[in-house]
Amino acid sequence: MIRFDKVKKSFGPKEVLKGISFSVKKGEILFILGTSGTGKSVLLKNLVGLLRPTSGEIWIDGQEVSHLTEEEYLPVRRRCGMVFQHPALFDSLSVYENVAFGLRRHFSDLKESQIREKVMESLNLVHLNGIESKRPQEISYGMQKRVSLARTLAVGPEVLLFDEPTTGLDPITTNAINQLIQELSHKLQTTSIVVSHDMHCALDIADRVIVLDQGHIVEEGDVEHLKQSSHPLVRDFLQEALSAERA
Amino acid sequence: MLRGLRGIVEDIGGGVVFMGQVLSVALFKPCSFRSISEQIVKVTEQSWLTTAVAGFFVGAIMTVQFSLQIQQFGALGYLGGLATSGTIREVGPLLIAFMLSGKVGAFTSAELGTMRVTEQIDAIRCLGANPIQEIILPRWLGIVCSSFFLLAVGLMMSIGGGLLMGMFFSGISMQEYVRHIPTIVTSFSILSGLFKCLVFAMVLASICTYKGYTATGGARGVGRAVVNTAVATMVAIVIADWVTSVFSDVALRIVLGD
Repeated sequence: MIRFDKVKKSFGPKEVLKGISFSVKKGEILFILGTSGTGKSVLLKNLVGLLRPTSGEIWIDGQEVSHLTEEEYLPVRRRCGMVFQHPALFDSLSVYENVAFGLRRHFSDLKESQIREKVMESLNLVHLNGIESKRPQEISYGMQKRVSLARTLAVGPEVLLFDEPTTGLDPITTNAINQLIQELSHKLQTTSIVVSHDMHCALDIADRVIVLDQGHIVEEGDVEHLKQSSHPLVRDFLQEALSAERA
Repeated sequence: MLRGLRGIVEDIGGGVVFMGQVLSVALFKPCSFRSISEQIVKVTEQSWLTTAVAGFFVGAIMTVQFSLQIQQFGALGYLGGLATSGTIREVGPLLIAFMLSGKVGAFTSAELGTMRVTEQIDAIRCLGANPIQEIILPRWLGIVCSSFFLLAVGLMMSIGGGLLMGMFFSGISMQEYVRHIPTIVTSFSILSGLFKCLVFAMVLASICTYKGYTATGGARGVGRAVVNTAVATMVAIVIADWVTSVFSDVALRIVLGD
């Protein structure tokens, strides 16, 4: 289980997270919604230690992780895989080498045949086959996003963190990615935290939703609870999702 | 004014801390020889032609300038020695540093900056690797090592350029041009040139990797990092030139027992 306890994060004089507290249960798909600049990505980056909270605590399965050193964070990062907003693939490496990258670092004792097996398995999970030898620039943006997901899956994380997984994608690829998140969550029994501003997608696949505004949680609950919310921001999001559905 | 000064001090402080991290990784978690050699090949490939062409013309310019001066004293026989000594001790290393700054410095800063703003550096950390070990140290060492190859290319071409200019502009023979090179170009001149080359390359590699690694703010941020790299390396190399010149002079005096 993951728990944020009064987490604050400031950049200079600007306080982005203003005492956030919430928890995520094992196997749950949690959506964190909010407009741009409300600190959604900052929240995820604090969880994997790319950023450190200014104050507050972050607990993962009974271990407080916010004070860990970079070395001590490695096992946490192996358990919590992050899929970034950009595909963040390494241009100089092939798709195969990109997916194998984390395996080679996290599990230095793996044989090449085992690495190959895991790479192919991960690419298969995201429905990509036969592109292992291609370079990232030779495949579409949607495919790059899926390779990025395969790279994270290859390490075998228990928690998957998605930072705006559908930004910049067409509606068909967006649906495919959303289905993939749901499918992986069920198939691999992973906990998923998805940062997004796509309410339509949240209504489809989220078990629970948190709405962030100005560094505070303004609404929290399951999809049905969210639909009854009277908070103006949530109503705006719902309105937007409704219009998108009609269109 | 005060804000600008504070920014410079913060930048220098940040750079020193960053280089401390690079040094620590170099000592305790060195990168693979393969990744360093890839960078050496990349940097050398990127810059050897420009360095060779620039080196040729710098040698030619040096010869013309010296020729105009020493012709008045009837000492044209010393032309080759003086022009070559000046190139090896001062102009050669400086030229290589400026060439590398324009090509490799800007390229490295843009490459690392793009990796930063497209979250590739964050991805490296999340995938269990150390970005300084994976991408910074190989580039840093690649720039420093390749600068010596490029110095050799630049110096050979500048000697060639100087020789041709000596023959066709000043009218002296090849034998006359090279006669005094061994007497004027001492081992101290060569050591001084190599020392300068090392210092300039270290300064350049440190600034461009630091500026690229700490870039923020999307495409604009990468552009800003590249411009800052170009300005900072030029200024820092000129300051380093002054420092190394004073240092070389003091070392020479100590060696000569003055």
